Amino acid sequence: MLQIIADGLIIGSVISLGAIGLSLTLSIVRFSNFSHGELLGWGGYFALTALATFSAIAPGATAPLGPFSFGWALLGALLLAAALAALLALLLDTVLFKRLRRQGAITLVIASFGSALALRNLLLFWQGGVPQYYSQNLQIAIPFLPRSVWGGLRATPDQLFVLALTLVTVTGLHLFLRHSTLGRSMRATAINPNLARVAGIDPERVLRATWIIGGMLAAVAGVFAGITVQLRPTMGEDLLLPLFAAVILGGIGSVWGAVLGGFIVGLAESASVSIVGAEYRAAAAFVVLILILLVRPNGLFGEKG
Amino acid sequence: MTAQKAAALDVESLEAGYEPGLPIVRGASLQVQTGEIMAILGPNGAGKSTLVKAVVGLVPVSGGRVLLFGRDITRVAAHRMVFEGLAFVPQTENVFVNLSIAENLELAAALVKADRRERLDPVYAMFPDLARQRALRAGQLSGGQRQMLAVARALITRPRLLVLDEPSAGLSPKLVAQVFDKLREVRASGVTVLLVEQNVKAALALADRAAVLVEGCERIVASSAELLGDERIAALYLGRHTGQQTRKEPH
Repeated sequence: MLQIIADGLIIGSVISLGAIGLSLTLSIVRFSNFSHGELLGWGGYFALTALATFSAIAPGATAPLGPFSFGWALLGALLLAAALAALLALLLDTVLFKRLRRQGAITLVIASFGSALALRNLLLFWQGGVPQYYSQNLQIAIPFLPRSVWGGLRATPDQLFVLALTLVTVTGLHLFLRHSTLGRSMRATAINPNLARVAGIDPERVLRATWIIGGMLAAVAGVFAGITVQLRPTMGEDLLLPLFAAVILGGIGSVWGAVLGGFIVGLAESASVSIVGAEYRAAAAFVVLILILLVRPNGLFGEKG
Repeated sequence: MTAQKAAALDVESLEAGYEPGLPIVRGASLQVQTGEIMAILGPNGAGKSTLVKAVVGLVPVSGGRVLLFGRDITRVAAHRMVFEGLAFVPQTENVFVNLSIAENLELAAALVKADRRERLDPVYAMFPDLARQRALRAGQLSGGQRQMLAVARALITRPRLLVLDEPSAGLSPKLVAQVFDKLREVRASGVTVLLVEQNVKAALALADRAAVLVEGCERIVASSAELLGDERIAALYLGRHTGQQTRKEPH
């Protein structure tokens, strides 16, 4: 039981970080970006490439840090991947979405389908289809509770790192949105774009910030998926529906909603793997989604229309 | 040649609309003098809101021009208007409902890169109700309080011209009187005011002058006192044609 919750929180960390960017895009850029999942995949592989480069330059930086399977090099690669994924998101906006913005949300959604296909296949072409890992070091899970207590609880240091860094990242984003002028401008634009304009908010600046934050968080989520599971060029596609489920569950535009939605989807997936089998994993997330939407049609933290 | 003092707002033969080739504002011209309160009146669909939205950059302009204190602002983006000295209060959804009162006002100050305390203190003094509830989410405010917050948010930017789209919409007569009293205070502080109104009686009691817009063009521009005694006003609002010639100010 406890193990199911712990595993759900780890899966939920990846989904939460990915869902925040998707939620921000939905509420500020105002369309469902089906290529957002690919930013997770590209972010993960950007970090893998950066890690290989760092290893060649400074082999010592890959030595494991304390109990973790990775060294300083992966942390550096994570930062670089976040920056590169932000640039990729901005590039996508500049060459594609920005030109189509006047055509309306449906055109943007279809364009995002197309860009998702292109990005996924480019990644497959670049990295090949074989799953890859940041580290070949094996980690032993630390037993926190014996089997006699609710089935026991074990977690690897890497998993705890992922969970802790997710909470730090989300708290940082919360403080940014709450207290900085740009963060408040983003919240203002999400709720009322026309008023935001006449209030003096530059819409293009807010859109750029949204792509940058969404891209960075997606990269971090992709790296976390690589640390806790593995890297696959199709991981963006596999994560896309759970990301949407998390956003809708939490309520569009709400950061904490996306985080809570991500953890709920993660828990549902984890429980389904243990109870009904891994093949029903995706379905479980949607059963929870339907149940919650029956009670709260705007999601857990969504504004009423 | 002597320099003539520029009007606060000079709208010259303005054409504007949401769709290309379908202007809603059709050659409207009007002048708002510095320090006055001017109202734009007219029947439903006359293009009053579209006119002020075109002035503030929210609706595309297809012809004519807009001068603010002599400076051409026709093509200035809506988000740059606060830097030109023009603040706009939309008719509905005119506060950020997901932000607190304080956040609404602090954001307005931060956007014009002004000192927060220096801008907020006088506005809180002018709107003591808002000061008392500053941590309250704007979405929880009543219609009248929201209108006050919307005006307060606009004043934070220290505008020279304040444009309001139907500030009395949805308010009880008592609240309309309170909002209009506040607008008198705003004018007394040196801000020129231009407002669109459906509530003709209240608007003429507040404004020094008014323009009556019909089918996207000003039909009458006169002082409020003159308009209060003008029979054509009722005819225009009811959509009846009296056959009388209406006066149009020369461009």
